[in-house]
Amino acid sequence: MAITLNFGDFFSGRSVIGDTVLELGAKHDNLWVLTPDIGGALGGYKKEFPDRFVDVGIAEANCLGVAAGLALEGNICIVMGMIPFLSMRATEQVRTDICYQNLNVRIIGTGGGLTSGGGSTHNAMEDIAIMKSFVNMTVFSISDPLMIRDILILSMEHQGPMFMRLAEGKKDRVMYEQDARSFGIGRGAIAREGKDATIFCHGEMVGEAYDAAEILKGEGIDVRVADMYCIKPVDEELIKKCVDETGNVLVLEDHLMYGGLASTISDFFVDNKVVPKTFKRLGIPQVYAGFGSGPEQRKKYGYDVTAVVDYFKKTLK
Amino acid sequence: MATQQEIYHLKELAHDMRVKLLTLCGTYGGVLHIGGDLSMTDLMIAIYNYGLNVDSSDIALPTRDRFVLSKGHGAMAMYTAMSYKGFFNYDDIVKTYGKLDSAYGMHPCKVRLPGVETSSGSLGHGLSIAVGMAISAKQKKQNHRVFCYMGDGETCEGSIWEAAMAAHAKDLGNLIGVIDRNKQMMTSFSEESMKMDPYPDKWKAFGWDVTEIDGHNMEEIVNALDHLKKPNETDKPQAIVANTVKGKGVSFMERNIGWHAGMLSEEDMNKALKDVNDAWDKERGAK
Repeated sequence: MAITLNFGDFFSGRSVIGDTVLELGAKHDNLWVLTPDIGGALGGYKKEFPDRFVDVGIAEANCLGVAAGLALEGNICIVMGMIPFLSMRATEQVRTDICYQNLNVRIIGTGGGLTSGGGSTHNAMEDIAIMKSFVNMTVFSISDPLMIRDILILSMEHQGPMFMRLAEGKKDRVMYEQDARSFGIGRGAIAREGKDATIFCHGEMVGEAYDAAEILKGEGIDVRVADMYCIKPVDEELIKKCVDETGNVLVLEDHLMYGGLASTISDFFVDNKVVPKTFKRLGIPQVYAGFGSGPEQRKKYGYDVTAVVDYFKKTLK
Repeated sequence: MATQQEIYHLKELAHDMRVKLLTLCGTYGGVLHIGGDLSMTDLMIAIYNYGLNVDSSDIALPTRDRFVLSKGHGAMAMYTAMSYKGFFNYDDIVKTYGKLDSAYGMHPCKVRLPGVETSSGSLGHGLSIAVGMAISAKQKKQNHRVFCYMGDGETCEGSIWEAAMAAHAKDLGNLIGVIDRNKQMMTSFSEESMKMDPYPDKWKAFGWDVTEIDGHNMEEIVNALDHLKKPNETDKPQAIVANTVKGKGVSFMERNIGWHAGMLSEEDMNKALKDVNDAWDKERGAK
């Protein structure tokens, strides 16, 4: 990929996916791309490798079942679609056909959290809870447009299913300098250093956490941002290190605040007798959220930049 | 084309399989999906021991025909039919069936039993998987066929028709659907609960070539398998709608809703064995 992106730039994760699968398709003749009628970004692949591109129409369950059949024949499948339908309409195909048999299917979902703007039918607030519950499934939430490229490339060498969650995927913020990127399965990344508290987050919320930390710097509060882009298996070492070094913990995510990353982290705390000085989770409460943009909804439900700043000012000052 | 002798041999195997299934159902101490197993017997024997191009000594042979058992609860019928072809030792199946850590369970598990092509058991899933396998074969210009064995009951599932539509759209002449039309589900007669007729027409409307046969007539089964078009001869997926009887051969089971699954008492087992043995004696006498 010839583009150069710098920290703070915005770029379409979807177009990165389109370019990356095209590259990978040339390298791996067993790579297939499937979609249930989604993915303009996949047009290049469709044109270049029409015999390894499958659009099954608006039929997610069939799409994931077909992917399982292809994977049983030794192929690697990338399935791209909207998160609620991939994670819920086709839940059983993902669990029983793909995860049970530990097949090489990579599911890329767009519209993470409340970013789709489509209302509750299209919101994706349960997907991480669902996907992380499946044995053999690896779960990513993508925070940076080039991260999806790195994860897709490393996925070619991985045996087993993967779920990759994107936000809207149209205008994603670059959170990492190009030569500093180093992502892996079972790892997290420090997106910003800090010593007074850690915000554990994923996906689009990494940028939000970063902005909150910059504001808090002016208040004399030094907040670390831990990007837990791999939610399962989670980077336990990093979690422990952040608690040891910063004490205070906030989990911020565009997902139901119970069932997602916050639950993974609190499970880790309980199982390992790790007790942070303070612990707070911010995310989607038990509501079917309505319409509006991602930022509007995050403000409404209290998990945006302002909410994070207010929380730490109240707790740590 | 099969010789009369070959057909007689298949009938012999089917009889032996009925005896095995009923004996197991009366002795192993657990529940068997005996009703459906018996509706599958003639078809499974013919498919594995006549129709399919498979070699039990090399289960990963790329040129082998693929077989997907979509009605996964018919696993015992599949294991048994495969055992005649040398895939498994029948005594091993009987010794461990359904027990802790066994490779042979109520529903096929590829992870534990690599000789099967896919795990199954959740109804309505198999045809999508078979479509994926058939698309792969077509793209790789492989000449083998993909068989998907479905129960008519599971074709209530919408995903079957998503897959049926896709099979036509993707021109899968290498895909063969075998539908075990026993017209019974677990708790109801399918025509009462879902009105599936005109059944073959549904598949035709989805773009499939359809042959309707008596699924207990070995001559008809073999003839249907013989007349399947080869992958390079057609772009249309092919369906064999086989009219069958749940509990076939056992007087107190046939068309009895109570026998989707169950155990046999010794008395019932002996009665059932007498039924199938008498029928077989008659068949042999007629030969």
